[in-house]
Amino acid sequence: MSAARRGPRPAGERLRRLLVMLPWLMERGEVPVAEMCERFELSEPELVKDLELAAMCGLPPFVDEMVDVFIDEGMVYAGVPRLFTRPLRLTAPEGFSLLTAARAAMQVPGADPDGALARALAKLAAALGDDALGGAVVVDTPAPPAAETVTAAANRCERLRVVYWSPAADERTEREITPRRVFVDRGFWYVIADDHRSGEERKFRIDRIERCEPTGVIDEAREVDVPVGDAWFADADLPAVLLRVPTGGVWVAERFPTRSVQPDGDGWLLELSVVSERWLRELLLRLGAEATVLQPPEWVGLGAAAAAELLARYTGGAAD
Amino acid sequence: MADALERITNLVALLMATRAPLTLEQIANELTGQYPLGEAAMRGAFERDKALLRETGVPLETEVLSGSDAGRTGYFIDRDRYELADLHLTADEQHALQLAVAAARLADAHFGLLKLGADRGSAPVVMANIPELPELPVLREATAARAVVSFEYRGSARQLQPFSLLLRERFWYVIGHDLGHGEVRTYRVDRIEGGVGVGEPGAFQRPTGFDPRSVFPADPKLLGDEPSARAEVLVDQPRAGGVVRELGDAAVLERRGDGGVVVEVPCANLDAFRSWLFGLGTHAEVLGPPEVRAAVVEWLGALVAGR
Repeated sequence: MSAARRGPRPAGERLRRLLVMLPWLMERGEVPVAEMCERFELSEPELVKDLELAAMCGLPPFVDEMVDVFIDEGMVYAGVPRLFTRPLRLTAPEGFSLLTAARAAMQVPGADPDGALARALAKLAAALGDDALGGAVVVDTPAPPAAETVTAAANRCERLRVVYWSPAADERTEREITPRRVFVDRGFWYVIADDHRSGEERKFRIDRIERCEPTGVIDEAREVDVPVGDAWFADADLPAVLLRVPTGGVWVAERFPTRSVQPDGDGWLLELSVVSERWLRELLLRLGAEATVLQPPEWVGLGAAAAAELLARYTGGAAD
Repeated sequence: MADALERITNLVALLMATRAPLTLEQIANELTGQYPLGEAAMRGAFERDKALLRETGVPLETEVLSGSDAGRTGYFIDRDRYELADLHLTADEQHALQLAVAAARLADAHFGLLKLGADRGSAPVVMANIPELPELPVLREATAARAVVSFEYRGSARQLQPFSLLLRERFWYVIGHDLGHGEVRTYRVDRIEGGVGVGEPGAFQRPTGFDPRSVFPADPKLLGDEPSARAEVLVDQPRAGGVVRELGDAAVLERRGDGGVVVEVPCANLDAFRSWLFGLGTHAEVLGPPEVRAAVVEWLGALVAGR
């Protein structure tokens, strides 16, 4: 329940909830207080306060148009409904978010284009004036080939044997993993899995899984947390690099989580977490001569060194 | 002191029950003792209530009155506009929507689900982080209403007939016919400066079957003046398998005995092409065409010289 909330609740938030609670309650007639608290994410005192207040509302001269609600022995009772019989229409953010959530879910491998979700989506789109065909809100996060097998394994808690290419080490390894959760972030598909090679929970990028086969071994179900937003990448233990990039290099700050971003003349000063030196070498190659490493000193010449190594392929006769 | 929720709930009830629009004085008169006395204080309290209704999504209608109240503003709530239309979702459709909402973890979607009468779903196996921006609901409504939107972008004013919103990688784009440029343009929503203005509904026709994915290529390497431009790239064995999976078998020009492959890669956008190439580290080399190979050599040479 919503124990984390502190302080007085704003009237707008209470009204928004009340206008959904009342019609729901009236349709049912009587509901346990606890059930209502859980559904509407309110503590019992909060729920009782708002319902008792609603019971005083309505239009005094017309008794039968008052909101008829009372609470007794852990139950909420609603009398003859006259007002607030239907929920308030969807607001613009609610409509947008529902459509987006449904369209995103349709991208999951195995989503049935004629299934329940597709039918719900069609009804929702029609009610919101969205185009049924090729809708106006499009979520385009195509799943990599291995996603279907990995998702199916996560549903069954089945172990997979995979060949995975690890960018940090630039090597391919074979291992067994038990997928727990599949996760889409910034266009990439990840799986959180028990890695039986290291004995730890690890995240893998699904497009880097080169081969995967079910093993038939079923592990016990286990809940795992999926972090939100940049928490996904944040890791205080990683070393940092301080970079100066020209105006056009600001994409770096949009693509990778930054520890700090500051304007600096006609460019930017960025502090980034460094997942591996290899990653930083690639980033510096992409940024080219106009980006400079300021800190730490051992990485100041890294971009030039990486470029020299690669340039040798072109000038040193490696090409045929 | 009366609870703020009480007056606002009474106000909604009154404006929904009334047969004729009510002036502020009539409202204050009906809700005896709930609005402060004195014109200015009463007006101030009512303005706050109006803002609260707007924020909650309650549609408040206004009308300029005639007759004895000529010229004054009357207020009412149109029940048909207020009430949620029943979507007639079946139990399995509700359940599918619950799962979708739990997967996306969007707070507004969760609340919308409550209105639709569905329960809160437990999180499914596949989840997603979807960026949220305040402009998105406004743009979506304008798209549905076929209303022209106006906003500032890179320091200049734009006017757009919005056709679609597209989420690709981590960014939302709005795509439509730009009235100033006379062509279809794509704008990144998080780069819109300030608010979005919305014009009158029904102002344009959306092209039938418009698909933003066709306007905006998924592969940034294709964004350029010559979308057909291709480079030949040798990829060594350690990365060959991954590259072939990414580009498809049709892109393979040659398979070498050491496990390496020569592939054909779009290079219309050189920046995007270089990014892709350097992601392969020392495992890849541009073989041709000569100008693309020369451009990569020049880029690397400049970086070495900067040492």
